[in-house]
Amino acid sequence: MNYDHPSHAVREHQEISTLIPWYLNGSIAEHQRQRLDVHVSLCAECRDDLALERSVYLGMRAETAVEYMPAASLKLLQARLDGIDAAASVDLPAGLPAAQRPGRAAVPWHGVMAASVAVMAVALSLLAADRWLQARARTTRPDYYTVTTAVPRAPGEVIRAVFAPNITLVELQSLLDEAQLRIISGPTEAGVYSLAANSRRPVNSSLALLRGHAKVRFAESTQPSTGSGELP
Amino acid sequence: MTVLAKNSAKEHDNDLLVAVAAGNRRALEELYVSYHRRLARFLSRFTPRYENVEEIINDTFMVVWQRSKDFRYASQVSTWIIGIAYRTALKSLRRQKNHAGALRLDDYPEQTTDPTLETEVRDWLKHGLERLPIEQRLTLELAYHMGHSLEEIAAITECPVGTVKARMFHAREKLRQYLPTLGGSACALSMRDE
Ligand SMILES: [Zn+2]
Repeated sequence: MNYDHPSHAVREHQEISTLIPWYLNGSIAEHQRQRLDVHVSLCAECRDDLALERSVYLGMRAETAVEYMPAASLKLLQARLDGIDAAASVDLPAGLPAAQRPGRAAVPWHGVMAASVAVMAVALSLLAADRWLQARARTTRPDYYTVTTAVPRAPGEVIRAVFAPNITLVELQSLLDEAQLRIISGPTEAGVYSLAANSRRPVNSSLALLRGHAKVRFAESTQPSTGSGELP
Repeated sequence: MTVLAKNSAKEHDNDLLVAVAAGNRRALEELYVSYHRRLARFLSRFTPRYENVEEIINDTFMVVWQRSKDFRYASQVSTWIIGIAYRTALKSLRRQKNHAGALRLDDYPEQTTDPTLETEVRDWLKHGLERLPIEQRLTLELAYHMGHSLEEIAAITECPVGTVKARMFHAREKLRQYLPTLGGSACALSMRDE
């Protein structure tokens, strides 16, 4: 290299040396690349340095043979997110529409635990929903005839409902929150749930909400006063 | 990847993150799938157990889910996500440091006992890399394995450019202590790599 101006040459040599890794991975700007090419053509030390570093680069760039599939770990993540969603929906003020629910990270766990009664309710309904998910696997075509006739009305039951096979636990929980209902029993072999009211919200209004939901296959009131069967 | 493809990938990432910030789980899942392979390959270089890789990736995406609203789009989404993975990995690797087979964190590696000529390039590389301080190794991996620029690594690691340069300098210096031949020719190394 050119030693006419030693201090400049030394500085240039050092700067070039620090550029080498990014020269190798192709991420430096074109003018920097040219500057390095020129320097390397004149400086044997940097030429050796570059060649040595290239072997390190190539060795590290070599891909591992192992291939990771995202599906299984994505399921684990989804389960974690479902947990957060379920927890977050517990602590919300009644009557807040589902669309406005934060649905995540809004409620720290200690806050949830403070509302122990609500936690119990959700835990119970999730447990029931879990049983329902299992039952769902057994009964693909629920027999709606049995909904009103065969099953005796559970104490506190106001509505019976059948949900679509593809409804998720989170969707179910959020729908029940919105309708201010909770699962008190079910599912039956036919996939029917007994629901009780969580508030003084009129049963007809909860019923209308269920019927308006795309993933509710069937919903009926079982309250003695309002009778049963389809409402307008 | 062409510049055009790179830009459209960036825009797509931006769109996805906007949706994630609005609470869209599908968007998060799409982002997850598109980053999983990259992150898994990167992380598997530090931690041999798949459960650890999986855990770091999922912890990363929990943070993405929770913090997406705070992202200001001043930097790239990819840099942001890889940065979260970097910090998550750093924490996890530090936790593992006392466990068998984990990385050594000492700043001054031991000299290799017998750097014989027979050592395969990959063996000495592996040997050397495992003895680098974790920040130096991560810097090297971000540049050589992931192909990131100096500025991107500074953004990912949330460090000044000067710090990244210094880490890279020390990493290269230390790695060379493990060369099978002192001042050995790179050509010979490349040939043995075949
Ligand atoms: Zn030089």
